[in-house]
Amino acid sequence: MSQAVAPVRHVLIEGNKSYHNITEDLCTPTEKAPSREWIIAFTLAAALAGLYVFSVVWTIWKGIGSWNLNRTINWGWDITNFVWWIGIGHAGTLISAILLLFRQRWRTGVNRSAEAMTIFAVICAGQFPLIHMGRLWLGFFIFPFPNTRGPLWVNFNSPLLWDVFAISTYFSVSLLFWYTGLVPDLATVRDRASGLRRKLYETFSFGWTGSAKHWQRWESLSLILAGISTPLVLSVHTIVSFDFATSVIPGWHTTIFPPYFVAGAIFSGFAMVQTLMVIARKVLKLEEYITLNHIDSMNKVIVLTGTIVGVAYLTELFIAWYSGYIYEQFAFYNRVFGVYWWSYFGMMFCNVVSPQLFWSRKIRRSIWWTFFLSIVVNIGMWFERFVIIATTLARDYIPSSWSYYSPTWVEICIFMGTIGLFFVLFLGFTRIAPVVAIAEVKAILKVAGDQYVGPKANQAHGKTEDVKKED
Amino acid sequence: MHQEKGIWVSTEELNQEESFLQSAEKEFVMEDLVDSDGAWTANRRDFLKMLGFGLGAATIAASCEIPMKRAVPYVTKPEEIVPGVANYYASSFVNGGDYCAVLVKTREGRPIKIEGNTLSKVTQGGTSARAQASVLDLYNTRRIQSPGSISNGELTEMDWNQLDEKVKGQLALGGQVRIITNTILSPTAKKALGEFTAKYPNARVVSYDPVSSAALLSANEQCFGVKAIPSNKFDEANVIVSFGADFLGTWISPVEYARAYAKGRKVDPKNPRMSRHYQVESHMSLTGSNADNRILVKPSEQGAAICALYNAVAALKGAASISGPAVNDKAAAALKKVARELVDNQGKSLVVSGSNNIMEQVITNKLNDLLGNLNQTVDFGTLSYQRQGDERDVMRVVEEMKQGQVGLAIIWGANPAYELPNAEAFVEAFSKVNTRISFNGVMDETTKVCTHAAPANHFLESWGDAEPKEGHLSLIQPTISPLFNTRQAELSLLLWAESANLNLEDEQPYYQYLKSNWASDVFAKQTAYSTPTAFWDMSLHDGIVELPASGRTVSFNEGASLNGSAVSKPGSSDVEISMYETVNLGNGSYAHNPWLQEMPDPINRTVWGNHLNIPVEWDGVNKINGWKDLNDGDNVEVTVNGKGVTCTVVKTFGQMPGTVSIALGQGRIEGGCGVGYGVNANPWLPVTGGLVQYGAGDVTVGEKVGEDKHFACVQHHHTMGVTAMSTKEEAVVNADEKVIGMDGSLTDRSVIFQASLASLPALQEKMNEFHEESDHLNQQTLYPDRTDYFGTGVKWGMFVDLSSCIGCGACQVACVSENNVPVVGKNEVKRHHEMTWLRIDRYFYGDLENPNVVYQPMMCQHCDNAPCENVCPVNATNHSMEGINQMAYNRCIGTRYCANNCPFKVRRFNWLDYTTADTWPANEEQVFWVEGEDKPYYADNLVRMVLNPDVTVRSRGVIEKCSFCVQRIQEGKLTAKSEERAIGDNDIRTACQTACPTGAIVFGNMNNADSEVNQKIEGAGVLAYQALEEINVRPGVRYAAKINNRNEELNS
Repeated sequence: MSQAVAPVRHVLIEGNKSYHNITEDLCTPTEKAPSREWIIAFTLAAALAGLYVFSVVWTIWKGIGSWNLNRTINWGWDITNFVWWIGIGHAGTLISAILLLFRQRWRTGVNRSAEAMTIFAVICAGQFPLIHMGRLWLGFFIFPFPNTRGPLWVNFNSPLLWDVFAISTYFSVSLLFWYTGLVPDLATVRDRASGLRRKLYETFSFGWTGSAKHWQRWESLSLILAGISTPLVLSVHTIVSFDFATSVIPGWHTTIFPPYFVAGAIFSGFAMVQTLMVIARKVLKLEEYITLNHIDSMNKVIVLTGTIVGVAYLTELFIAWYSGYIYEQFAFYNRVFGVYWWSYFGMMFCNVVSPQLFWSRKIRRSIWWTFFLSIVVNIGMWFERFVIIATTLARDYIPSSWSYYSPTWVEICIFMGTIGLFFVLFLGFTRIAPVVAIAEVKAILKVAGDQYVGPKANQAHGKTEDVKKED
Repeated sequence: MHQEKGIWVSTEELNQEESFLQSAEKEFVMEDLVDSDGAWTANRRDFLKMLGFGLGAATIAASCEIPMKRAVPYVTKPEEIVPGVANYYASSFVNGGDYCAVLVKTREGRPIKIEGNTLSKVTQGGTSARAQASVLDLYNTRRIQSPGSISNGELTEMDWNQLDEKVKGQLALGGQVRIITNTILSPTAKKALGEFTAKYPNARVVSYDPVSSAALLSANEQCFGVKAIPSNKFDEANVIVSFGADFLGTWISPVEYARAYAKGRKVDPKNPRMSRHYQVESHMSLTGSNADNRILVKPSEQGAAICALYNAVAALKGAASISGPAVNDKAAAALKKVARELVDNQGKSLVVSGSNNIMEQVITNKLNDLLGNLNQTVDFGTLSYQRQGDERDVMRVVEEMKQGQVGLAIIWGANPAYELPNAEAFVEAFSKVNTRISFNGVMDETTKVCTHAAPANHFLESWGDAEPKEGHLSLIQPTISPLFNTRQAELSLLLWAESANLNLEDEQPYYQYLKSNWASDVFAKQTAYSTPTAFWDMSLHDGIVELPASGRTVSFNEGASLNGSAVSKPGSSDVEISMYETVNLGNGSYAHNPWLQEMPDPINRTVWGNHLNIPVEWDGVNKINGWKDLNDGDNVEVTVNGKGVTCTVVKTFGQMPGTVSIALGQGRIEGGCGVGYGVNANPWLPVTGGLVQYGAGDVTVGEKVGEDKHFACVQHHHTMGVTAMSTKEEAVVNADEKVIGMDGSLTDRSVIFQASLASLPALQEKMNEFHEESDHLNQQTLYPDRTDYFGTGVKWGMFVDLSSCIGCGACQVACVSENNVPVVGKNEVKRHHEMTWLRIDRYFYGDLENPNVVYQPMMCQHCDNAPCENVCPVNATNHSMEGINQMAYNRCIGTRYCANNCPFKVRRFNWLDYTTADTWPANEEQVFWVEGEDKPYYADNLVRMVLNPDVTVRSRGVIEKCSFCVQRIQEGKLTAKSEERAIGDNDIRTACQTACPTGAIVFGNMNNADSEVNQKIEGAGVLAYQALEEINVRPGVRYAAKINNRNEELNS
């Protein structure tokens, strides 16, 4: 991956890093005792994850009746959270796959943690289709396997079944991709470790030696997996959107959902990457790897996807009016002005209005603004899913059955709990593996270029041999 | 070496060695674990193998705990019981004056379902919600299970002999004896009472009705010399005017009237005509909700309204007018127009009044006389006996008791300590009676203050008879042995009277008594049978006997003077209240039945409690507010005649401005699951001239003082296109579409179609267009054309005529009873977790202040392109070849996607363990409990006896819904098969269909062109539609548009 970088381009990694510096900077967090901040954050996350376990056990013990869903609104926070988490996962795949194919080399600073985020988000998302079942213990019925219950088979017409395949595929491909990228870095950590740690990393790095053949195969595999992942970026949320789009309920039954969901997913995913990166670069002292340029680029993606989402919202309204179909018209009228009007306006403000601030370069490059707006965007995207699910169900065809829904403490705790689960996994990850892809970052150092003539040029070139050894 | 064998395995074989020969003899070589000396030869591997196998086997055996279920076979099988096959017995549901001829379905000796008896000319196979639910009362855990003495409300058991001694001892003292009852329909019970009063001349029977018609009886006595109620022929009347009489829901004989009424209102599109119905009232009654026009008068204006109509008719007829009080101008103008119409339909009209003021009833009688309706639509040839009571008698008894004259009081069915307006005075006077006996089945308010309980059987355990109408007799036969140590009230009375006609040697003395009474009394009046035995056998089989009509005609007794000043005076207070009986609870005697408590009130759609109905107000722009800005579920302090109670309000369309109303029958203090819900409105009932009045002035409604956290209403949105005058646009606008938020609606939904008879052609045109448009849209489909698939064999379908549906709820309770639908309790209904498979949606339309109503029974539509089916990931819901959308409960994992994707929202999810099907203690906390019981309602084995064994009891976490009574379909098919014939059109009838008193629901085979369901659909023409026809889900249920006969000139 050692392409030449034009000298006129500004650096992607700041601080005039040498290969050695990079190895040091990125491996150290896995080697030293955790910081106080990390311990506090992990404790909080673990407590929330404990809350998750408690509220899930409560749900299974008492029944779905411990939630406030009702005969009219049969999905609420559960599926809202599911779609939200799945959406968040998308940024990781996009960064690692599509940006790889598009040779967006700035991605290397953030791809590792974005991919990790994907996997953890999908883990969180995957909880909900399970725990929202009335009879979780029979959840295995959704898998097509030969069984002794007569000629019973799954229903391939059901979007929920498509979800099963879409998400399991997505999870396994993402996991493979992420792990493939990790292998050389785990080897780096191994080389610096001793004792049991060394043994463990040895196992996990699959005996990586850094030979040219290894690198060649690794690069091919990365490309192949990127190729496989790329359609997944589009397909997973498309299929999730089919849960709604293929139904007969006005407000769900719309052909715009697939692209709109994908754009929304990337939008929320990038926002979540921003949230995590802004914290991680500070706490792990990675400001020179995850630079303002990264943040700037990702903010550009956010403003683009946010605007796409905004166009989708307006298109929906237009089509509802243009369709001449009264139920559709009412569904969208109700979405805006009905009982859940606040969630619609919350969604509009957070998703469409607030990202427009990123047209300003100053705000785009402001850590605080970025952090704040990334949170706002994720709140907005949660609202979007809530609007689609709860508002639509609350007012459909038959007025006699209209109802209202607000969650119980159990539902709130489950959602908070998945956030805890996510952070437990993510914080654990920062302690185990380098949060920035060492091998890939090294490839984009200016000093790595043959044409490089700047400071530390000799040093870098001179050290090449040593660094290779260290790898 | 010579080789004898071609092939050898080993040298041992080749050489035929000893060891080989030995082993060859044993075909199967087994290495024993133990050698010949008995020493253990197994090695470590064998040990581990055995250990593993043993442990595995033990684990499997121990973990597969098989619940112990005892199926005890009959030692001697009763002749008539075939396990798995239901028996039906003709009987009669009787509770006070409520009557229904029924068939009782029993399974393995347990009554589990009530069906209508189609042979009866009174109810004609129709039932009421009350009759449907009565089977559950049999299995009420709160029944008094043995005779005993009562002190401080606690029962101390005693045996019947002791009790009999005690009573006879008291009787021997010779004091006054009073037997307090509701209306008694049974001729044989009356005979028994006659024997009792003959033996003890100091004894007197006093009966009253929980909701009184005493004034009607007195007025008829004055006017016609007959102290009884005539047959009102609603089917023969072209114009019906009802002054507050809820004849479709609660008044006199609602099942009979509903059938007749619906008959007069079935519209044949080719020859459109139907009766017109005016209802004069303040709160919207079930009858009022079916009326074409409602004329709003305050409760105190009822008399004035009757006078106004009388004067208007008299003016047209040239009769003398009376000087009555004036009614409000709007009503007066309307009544003038009504009078014109009545006069145009002389002899073909009918005026009824629910008033309990004698003069108002006299004037009503005179009105019918003037209009020539006597002996036409008002038929005295067959008298109605459903109301015989007079509360003035019971008031007199209270006086007597107060003075200490009464030594023995017997309570039979009545509950005066709750039902009477002066219940407190009653209880105080009652306590002065030395011995107080109650026949009542539960420890209700009155029984609690008795000294002894002599619990009577439930009617399903009893012998008896009833004569609800003159010459229409029916029998009551037991369908199960008494569950507890109870005894028929009649038998107790006869024993205490030491009747000579009672043969105690008989196994069932009262049965013999009844039989001999019929042989001597009823047999003589009929001509069809020549021997008493044949007569009895056939009567018992049919359940009913029709005797020749009396042919009595009456004429108005001119001596009955009309006095306009004797009617009730319009009050001057700002707010008036009316107290009314509901179709499900009566005046409280059904309040302890959870099926009826959980049946939503047809009008305000609330459950478990009575609520103060307040009028709604239109602000002229975009809001429909509750009166005084009150909201559903707000608590307010209501004071009527100085007695204050905190009530929960509910906004009710059709409630006249300046009035409020509240249902009777709630706020029970003792006796069962109804305790603790709602408020008791009986103390508010004013008594005028000894007669209980059901409206009151002097009402103050305070400000909001809190909220009912458990206010449970199954319907949040009530309207489908109400109109009102907009102050902004200065025109009548569709108020529904102006309203934003919870109440806002799109009203042009293809769910309900309605029109008045006058605009029927316009509706037909509209529906024609709708069908064409839908057909066009539905052809643009990806679905395969399955016409052929469904066109062969059987395709089940249903037809519901919205013009016939009166919203009485009998079908809903029948469905609950048939399909083991659980009761979930108030809090769960509040959370919209009700489980009803069949609901009756109620929509208001037309003028916002005085709207019309359409009821829509909504059950699973069994769509051919069912949206629920293709979204289920596990195929738990799928389509049968016969067009039924079926649920495999065992396969359901509870994703609830089907319920979301159901356009009709008829799928029900078991949010909690409502049926206690999973015995998991943690799951029993939130489900329905009757207060004070030690286990959840459904966990009680007594209650579970009511379950239909043909229908799975669903467990937590699965979806359920209407199955078109698939168990009945299966039964019908099996019967047809065993009889080697095709399924007939009447073989299979769903529970809702058989329950319906008006025949609004028809079920059958859509592939049979001659089936009733097809005939009806064809008859309805373009008016037949599928709900949401244009979304191509292809429902199997067809509705026929609601047609009313609104007089548009009236309210303008």
